[in-house]
Amino acid sequence: MQAAPETEASRRITRLGPDYHVSFHAMATPCEVRVETSDAALAERIGIAVEAEARRIELKFSRYRVDSVVGRINAAGHLGLVVDEETSSLLECARQCFDASDGMFDITSGVLRRAWHFDGSDRLPGAQRILDLLPLVGWPKVSWKPPELKLPPGMEIDLGGLAKEYAVDRALAEALAIAPLPMLVNFGGDLRVSGPRSGGIPWNVAIESVEKSGGMAGMLELREGALATSGDARRFLLRDGVRYSHILNPRTGWPVKDAPRSVTIAAYSCVEAGITATLAMLKGRRAEAFLKREGIRAWCIR
Amino acid sequence: MQLKKRRRGNVRKSLARISAGLLAAALPPLAGQAAAQSYYDDASGTRNNNFGPGFTYSQLDAALLVYQEAGGRVGAIEPTANLSMHAADGRQLSIGGVADSVSGATPNGAVPSNLPQNFVTPIKAQGSSASVTSASGGSTIIKLPPTPGQLATAALGRQYTVPANTLPMDKGFHDHRAALNGAWAQPLGGITEIGVGAGYSRESDYQSITANTHLSQNFNANNTTMSLSLNSEFDSSFPFGGIPTPLSVMNAQWKTQSTRDKTQLGFVLGLTQVMTRSWLTQFNYAFDQQSGYQNDPYRIVSVVDPASGVPTQSLYENRPQSRQSNSFYWDNKLDLGPTVTDLSLRYFTDSWGIKSVTADLAERLNLGSAFYVEPSARYYHQSAANFFHSYLVGGQALPAYATSDSRLGSFTGTTFGAKLGWIVSKRSEFYVKGEYYAQSGNSHPAGAIGQLKQQDLFPKTSAAIAFIGYSWDFH
Repeated sequence: MQAAPETEASRRITRLGPDYHVSFHAMATPCEVRVETSDAALAERIGIAVEAEARRIELKFSRYRVDSVVGRINAAGHLGLVVDEETSSLLECARQCFDASDGMFDITSGVLRRAWHFDGSDRLPGAQRILDLLPLVGWPKVSWKPPELKLPPGMEIDLGGLAKEYAVDRALAEALAIAPLPMLVNFGGDLRVSGPRSGGIPWNVAIESVEKSGGMAGMLELREGALATSGDARRFLLRDGVRYSHILNPRTGWPVKDAPRSVTIAAYSCVEAGITATLAMLKGRRAEAFLKREGIRAWCIR
Repeated sequence: MQLKKRRRGNVRKSLARISAGLLAAALPPLAGQAAAQSYYDDASGTRNNNFGPGFTYSQLDAALLVYQEAGGRVGAIEPTANLSMHAADGRQLSIGGVADSVSGATPNGAVPSNLPQNFVTPIKAQGSSASVTSASGGSTIIKLPPTPGQLATAALGRQYTVPANTLPMDKGFHDHRAALNGAWAQPLGGITEIGVGAGYSRESDYQSITANTHLSQNFNANNTTMSLSLNSEFDSSFPFGGIPTPLSVMNAQWKTQSTRDKTQLGFVLGLTQVMTRSWLTQFNYAFDQQSGYQNDPYRIVSVVDPASGVPTQSLYENRPQSRQSNSFYWDNKLDLGPTVTDLSLRYFTDSWGIKSVTADLAERLNLGSAFYVEPSARYYHQSAANFFHSYLVGGQALPAYATSDSRLGSFTGTTFGAKLGWIVSKRSEFYVKGEYYAQSGNSHPAGAIGQLKQQDLFPKTSAAIAFIGYSWDFH
């Protein structure tokens, strides 16, 4: 599943009302940055910086690339790998999320995907197959002594649950360093704004409908902070009327039951919104109760 | 209802701390970005009353209105409360209640005179004299002798005297009102919203039952909304003292007919359009048809001497039983960043000959993140109903319809007000609002007869209105 090589040619810049809109494809998803300016050259410089940051993070943390840090960690296994400062801070973040979520947010749960293929079909894996994989899941089994990570044989890590959101926060910072303009960075639905548009006007963000792709379930106004959405609009299994979401419970190896079809979270940073969205999905039918209790601004679709 | 208190926001706080830790290590502080703490503390902009399509939440609004006309005239205190509950799938139920207490003096419709005037009305205890013990509200209880054509037998009546050169007012005016209303709305199939509502309101001498249904549909990526509502109302008037015969002489006798009804049917067609990111416009057209008893049963019109202009008789008023009205309304909301402007215009015309225009302007300014002020101004002007007469002239044929109710005369009203809002938290808001209303008409109409030239036939009125309210959203 090597990602297709993506070139500079995929980048497009268009005028959209008061904004310049730069779009490109990275991290296996459509990406965009909107900049409120009339200066096309400046918008393009910002677009290039945002795209460069997205590609840097994709190359560095993709689990599909053997030459990425994640690929090298997984290949090194019990031999261990000393990682750089940025990787170290992401791993430390993952560790803290594991603790804060009572073990539900676990970057070692990716091996379960060897058994599960969420292609909309009714093919469920055998129970034994999952039981065989479960010993390979569990953050406490890895040895994390910053800056060195050692994985027991057969185990893998996957930073997919953090990297895209982290890239949004990073890319926005890079863009604002070029010019402090009102802007919105959106990588596949995980987005963050620099602040309100000029004149305090909010950005409008649509929540995609889970029913038909491209439809809209609601419109949000965002003045500051970030949004992230987790859901199973297109990634699920359906058997005997039960819908299995692609969110896997690392403790059982099975998909979470009765999760909302889509959870959109508003938070200060995109990383925080993304982790919160994942955690809400992992709560299954108690997702809304969890979000309410925590006082989190969220929009759920059932 | 949750029975045990659970920790709130602990997971959120840890996730915020963890992400801030990651981002602080990996990137410099974002220029132009609010700090994380201020993101969560910030109450600027709209309150978080949208919990999203997957959330149930409730909203409670409570307010108290105090209304006082100048010169010791009508005063009212009106507490209101409204609760609305929103379910996850767009269904919503709302219930509300109003209670008010109105008292004071209200013009009885007669013209002032250069001589004192006496007015008699029925007293409360019909057929009983034992329960009446004293004068009240500036009136006295009198025993009226039998009068040919008016009182068959001696009766008790309430009499009040108005001094010379004073606008006649009845000071015995006091009433309580209670109203309840409920509404239900939900999406249905491809219809954006369909709903029904009903209300009931009761005063000591008036009852109103309303029912309505509405339909609204969004188009054009929710940028356009069309709506239609059908409204009906059934009112009963059972005035103290009974229903007076129209244009008969005011007296203290209990009238035999006690109740008259009025029905009203109408519809409103609405179009709301998002014009640009910061401009929302709305058009409404409303049609109403009222039929039945529309008189004010307590209101009189003076008959004056054709030479001196001195009132000689007081007749109960009379209005046509049918009234159709058309109203056109245009509202614009403009979000210009630091301020939000709301400008609306309304034109109204009815089969009684009234034409009116209203212009309303409100400007909201945010003062920091937690407070806002909203000054507002309203201009209103109407022409008179074609049966409005300040007085009737003795010796001339009586018109079929006549009223001296200033609300059906020609006048101009202006209102200035300001609202101060305090956004206590993302889910609650407290506000106070003050308004001043001034109304003036033609005080000295051309052709006034005799002493009426010296009288103010359309006295200016003014009123102060204060609101205090609280709005709270909760799960």
